[in-house]
Amino acid sequence: MTRGTFAYVAQRFVLIALTALVVSSIVFIGVHQLPGNAFLSERQSSPQREAELLHHYGLDKPLPEQYLAWVGGVLHGDLGESLVNRGVRITPLLLRELRVSATLGLFALLFTVVLGMGLGILAATKQNTWIDYAASFGGTVGYSMPNFVTATLLILLTVTGFYAWSGGAFYEDIGWGKPEQVIVPAIALGLYPMAIISRLTRASMLEVIRQDYVRTAWAKGLRPRLVIVRHSLRNALIPVVTILGPITTSVITGSVVIEYIFGIPGLGKEFVNSIFNRDYNIVIGVFTFYAVLVGLANLAVDLVYPLLDPRIRY
Amino acid sequence: MATAPSDYALQEDFVASEQYEVGESVSLWQDTWRRMRRNRLALIATAFVLFVLLVAIVSQFWTPYPIWRQGVGPTYQTPTLKHPLGLDQSGRDILSRLMGGAAISMEVGIGTALLSSVIGIVLGLLAGFYRGWIDSVISLVINVWYGIPDLLVVIMIVVITGRRELLFIIIAISITAWVNMARLVRGQTLSLREREFVEAARSIGTRDFSILFRHIFPNALGPIIVQATYLVPSAIIFEAFLSYLGLGVPPPNPSWGAMTAEGYRSLQYAPHITLIPALALGLTLVALNAFGDGLRDALDPRMRR
Amino acid sequence: MDGVSFHVDRGETVGIVGESGSGKSVTAMSILRLVAEPGRIAGGRILFGDEGKQKDVVQMTDDEIREFRGNDVAMIFQDPMTSMNPVLKVGFQIKEAMAAHERFTPKQAQDRVVPMLKRVRIPAPEERAKNYPHQFSGGMRQRAMIAMGLSNEPQLLIADEPTTALDVTVQAQIIELLRDLNRDLGTAVILITHNLAVVASLCTRVIVMYAGRIVEEGSTRQIFKSPQHPYTWSLLRSIPRLDEHQHEKLLTISGLPPDLTNPPPGCKFHPRCRFRVDRCLEEEPPLGEVDPGQKARCWVLMRNALAAQPQQAGQP
Repeated sequence: MTRGTFAYVAQRFVLIALTALVVSSIVFIGVHQLPGNAFLSERQSSPQREAELLHHYGLDKPLPEQYLAWVGGVLHGDLGESLVNRGVRITPLLLRELRVSATLGLFALLFTVVLGMGLGILAATKQNTWIDYAASFGGTVGYSMPNFVTATLLILLTVTGFYAWSGGAFYEDIGWGKPEQVIVPAIALGLYPMAIISRLTRASMLEVIRQDYVRTAWAKGLRPRLVIVRHSLRNALIPVVTILGPITTSVITGSVVIEYIFGIPGLGKEFVNSIFNRDYNIVIGVFTFYAVLVGLANLAVDLVYPLLDPRIRY
Repeated sequence: MATAPSDYALQEDFVASEQYEVGESVSLWQDTWRRMRRNRLALIATAFVLFVLLVAIVSQFWTPYPIWRQGVGPTYQTPTLKHPLGLDQSGRDILSRLMGGAAISMEVGIGTALLSSVIGIVLGLLAGFYRGWIDSVISLVINVWYGIPDLLVVIMIVVITGRRELLFIIIAISITAWVNMARLVRGQTLSLREREFVEAARSIGTRDFSILFRHIFPNALGPIIVQATYLVPSAIIFEAFLSYLGLGVPPPNPSWGAMTAEGYRSLQYAPHITLIPALALGLTLVALNAFGDGLRDALDPRMRR
Repeated sequence: MDGVSFHVDRGETVGIVGESGSGKSVTAMSILRLVAEPGRIAGGRILFGDEGKQKDVVQMTDDEIREFRGNDVAMIFQDPMTSMNPVLKVGFQIKEAMAAHERFTPKQAQDRVVPMLKRVRIPAPEERAKNYPHQFSGGMRQRAMIAMGLSNEPQLLIADEPTTALDVTVQAQIIELLRDLNRDLGTAVILITHNLAVVASLCTRVIVMYAGRIVEEGSTRQIFKSPQHPYTWSLLRSIPRLDEHQHEKLLTISGLPPDLTNPPPGCKFHPRCRFRVDRCLEEEPPLGEVDPGQKARCWVLMRNALAAQPQQAGQP
């Protein structure tokens, strides 16, 4: 790692931290603008209880003071305490759920990248054959279906369908805990990004195949596999790698609904639950986590990029 | 003519006869329309989209049964002649609700596409044309927004403000959707402003506003239209997500997303309640995207033949 | 493309001249069977080798043609920036050209890279071999391409507009390089270009193409001194020259090349030809010999056309 790269990475870390701070600050302030003591008023009966709670969470202090206290906490990695479940510290909770979400997300990404690139390359090398049209149409379908529709169909197929066909012998519970339970949600989550990647890979490959340097490779008498893999693929993958940042963001977004449907105890489900429970401290915490995750994903992509394209240097 | 070359052959004013030369000129729109016609998938998609639009419009005046009336028949009933798409868990006619859902989806889709396009185009033009601090600010917003999962933001806005009218949802989604259009338009403006015709217009003293809207904007129109077309299914998916989570237009409004969510519980024994709106969503979105793809391919200058 | 037939002798330098769309590039690419879809080779033969031991390229199997490309015949293209893979080192790409064939072992191929770069006059070849294409200048890139092409010591090098994308001064260097290599290595060269000056400096024979046909061929001297086809003549007349008399008018060729899906009847050049006669509109002339070694596809021929002019101011 050169000096320049080191400085670049350091800069990016600072940027990520700043972005996360800005984002969560906006959410913090936005949430605290809610009329009255919307934070707690629905739950409580007596005014003393309410006052005690407000004091416990520091909500009786003026906003700027609350904000500074919160920022101080964040810089120590402390995201506060749950409003609904008293005594539950948010940071360890979210970290536990992060592991779950990360597992799901990584499997989904694996599915997305491997199948997406594979189908894209297939469609490109067999351009204008029925394979190409089928893959392209499948891509459009995968791209258009909201992931809860995909999830519903998959559930119908795997749970209800297999159950019926196997005469009651096969039954798989929707949930989390057993290793095989990651498969269906990962597919449901990964289908949409897979469609994006496969379309992009195909378009990119087709573009690269037309390039002059591929023609040169043929003119040199190289074996077809070398022309495709060494010359076409490496160049075609560059725009695909670029898009992995937004793809990760998309997986994060999609995980909200998928975890909700499948009952997976990850960050997404926590987000939805906290919104409904009005547990805004957790909501702010989740946002912070997400901002950092997205930043890290984009950084990772930017670091891989020069490995593929030597024209880029930091 | 003669059997031997004539005297005037060496004259300068000799002009070739043009009847065998290559190429007839065709306007961009004629060419686009012609190419669209050849793409069969895009044609089917267009027809389907128009059909959905028609259903949506019709639903505002008439549906077989009122969309909110419960108990028009036994609950969970599978499709029959009287109720071609069956009844849902509250005994409401699914066909009628499906039609209403079409209207909601179309309103959200088109409304958001229009609103976010207008915002995005204006801001993109300003940023790309004037550069300077306007560009810095707008670009900063775009870049920050880029890293934020937009669905979460929209969810937050809807929940926190508590407002669930259709118009508000359109505005909420547009708040995140304008960014992509702005980025596209900014890029186009940046490159177009360097072209000679802009310099020419400037040199005769054309006002900036005029240059922007009569020179730059029309030339960027192709990609803008394609992007706007894609915004429609994008917004519909957003709304579907929201209503799936129960955050969309409130019941008994028959948003397809909400209908899918409601039917989930009865998936095992009355799957039609979930499947029908789910498929309606899926097909409409596929058609919209395929239409967008067809339009994009038809407008692509590189594929001109 | 129709009825194109020519030969190149061992060690010869032949120039193919024509406008864009004349079919010159396609002709060259078909020698290596590199014709891009939707085009294809519909018929004919492409013979390579010594008399009596010739192989037909059109009939070769996929494996044979792969051996053939880059080895017996090599080709370099117009834009060296886009013709080299931007993500691979230049030295590697040259080595790859050799390693693809049986002739050299990978080790030998690697060892030959730097000497090849030196031979094409690239300074500091050892460092340059480890560079990427974007780190080279335009002229150097084209030299590297030439090195790539000649690395297997082919008998024929086809150069498709090798200088068009380069500055004028660099053009001269590249042409000189090609000339020296032709002389030193004995590699035959087919130079495709629309630039007559370049042809004059490098080639011993010239073929002029128009609308997918050969319209004239002959030695460089013959073509330049006494072009017989009106197209060739007009091309030469449209080059401004320092030694021309002031009062000579610069003639341009008006009009555009024909649409080959709707070609003109008779001679394909007749719509733009100043010297046409009735027959030119009806019948396409054959490629006939006008002098020993020179052929032209014309009913009239310049020598007759100019003789009929009362005030012509001398031959180009």
